[in-house]
Amino acid sequence: MKAATPTLLGLIGVFLLALPIRIAGGHVPTPLLPLVMVFFWSIYGPNYLPAASVFAIGLLQDFLSGGPLGLWPGVYLVTQYLVLSQRSYFLGREQRVVVMGFAFAAAGAALILWLVMSLMSGALLPVWGLAFQMAMTIVTYPIFSAAFRRLHRRVIVEA
Amino acid sequence: MEVLGHDRRQGFGRRADSRISLLTLILVSILLLLSSLYSAEASVFRKARETVIDAAAPALAVFAGPIAYLQNAVGEVRDYFNVLKQNQALREENAELRQWMNEALALRETVAAYEALQAYHAPPDAQPVNAVVIGESNDVFSHSMLVNAGAADGVKRGQAVVDASGLVGRIVDVGKSAARVLLLTDVQSRAPVYIEGADIEGLLVGRTNDRPAISFTESSEPVVFRPGQRVLTSGAGGVLPRGLPVGVVVEDEDGEAIVDLYANYARTRLVRVVNYEFPPLEAAAEGGGAGEDADEPQASEQAAPDETAPAAVEPTAPEELVGADDEPQAIEEAAPDETAPAVAEPAAPEEPGDTDDELSSEPIDD
Repeated sequence: MKAATPTLLGLIGVFLLALPIRIAGGHVPTPLLPLVMVFFWSIYGPNYLPAASVFAIGLLQDFLSGGPLGLWPGVYLVTQYLVLSQRSYFLGREQRVVVMGFAFAAAGAALILWLVMSLMSGALLPVWGLAFQMAMTIVTYPIFSAAFRRLHRRVIVEA
Repeated sequence: MEVLGHDRRQGFGRRADSRISLLTLILVSILLLLSSLYSAEASVFRKARETVIDAAAPALAVFAGPIAYLQNAVGEVRDYFNVLKQNQALREENAELRQWMNEALALRETVAAYEALQAYHAPPDAQPVNAVVIGESNDVFSHSMLVNAGAADGVKRGQAVVDASGLVGRIVDVGKSAARVLLLTDVQSRAPVYIEGADIEGLLVGRTNDRPAISFTESSEPVVFRPGQRVLTSGAGGVLPRGLPVGVVVEDEDGEAIVDLYANYARTRLVRVVNYEFPPLEAAAEGGGAGEDADEPQASEQAAPDETAPAAVEPTAPEELVGADDEPQAIEEAAPDETAPAVAEPAAPEEPGDTDDELSSEPIDD
């Protein structure tokens, strides 16, 4: 049961994205929590967030945000694939390196998002809003990763 | 529960770094994406979307209430810094609005006087459905909101959603108890509008930033508009009512008008879904007899001026052309035309054909 916690946290993250939380009067976008979770648990405990859960989290986000189906699962799964392939590099590194790694992963996810949405709408969409949201997510990453680390160590791993 | 996460090396793929399931699911999501590219409106997808919206709506509504309460209680941080200036600005706006209120009340009396003469019937107001915003997509490329009114409340796809300041968006997905509103700033949003004063019609196209643009259809005359003119819905297509306030033109960019919307999406919470039905067209074949042939040339004469004249002139145009006994009925028929100038043509030929008997027994039920 405790092993399902990361998945449930991911689903809660998607719900937070769907709620009308308007930080600073709507000028600051809600950070992309599920991306943080996918990145974190792909490094430190890939068994806890298997591909099926990531797919489900992405699909729920697709449904709640009204975009084309399959966009967010694709983004999260590709991120997970890339992170898993670099996992041996990240394990045991200090947090600054991991944050930089997350910045790269977020940039990659943003690129996929932008490409797919531009293809679907037939025009080159402006990048600024997306860059802002990814910057917010990267800024909040250290906070959440600290929280998740404690959760992971104290609650999940210790049976 | 093991499918959601397991802490031992078991499940699909014994080795810890087996990626088969991952790659399979990547393939599945690419296929989903491609199929939604080609058939985004397939009933399977739409039913799935509606089911999920319905299922998620109660959970979202539970949280949306406290969030709204907290945000109202705390208020915006900036408000604390310029309270004095804001009060001054609000007082001035209040004074101006009071003048408008008085003028509106006077106009209402005038309209009531006309209606009492039975010579003019104002088109009936559309029946709104009140709703609260329970969810919002903070995604950069899909601007939409979830509201807690659904098919059970009479909401249909394509209907306009307004709040206190102006048009907010249109309904795109309808579940039983919740619906999704596509905001005007989304890339896929299109709304038929016209510029008041310049009387040009166009389509309001979202561009993912705060200011959508109006794209005009190709015409031989140059399109002339000025910043500061109001933009209202035009009612073309018959799905949105005419005259909903949308925004103000702010500048001219490459021949497209950029609009500053009245709606402030950061403050949108209470909305109304405008349950507007296009008035049914009565059968043009009714009536007949000798009177009709003599009136037919008049009908075609009417059709031409109706098309070119803007809606405000229409009550008088049929009046001029139709005979004296048809006069009250012609003005009556002009009332539905107010709401849909694009469809003036089919309504016009029926006017001379109707007899006076039909006039008395024919209620205007728009």
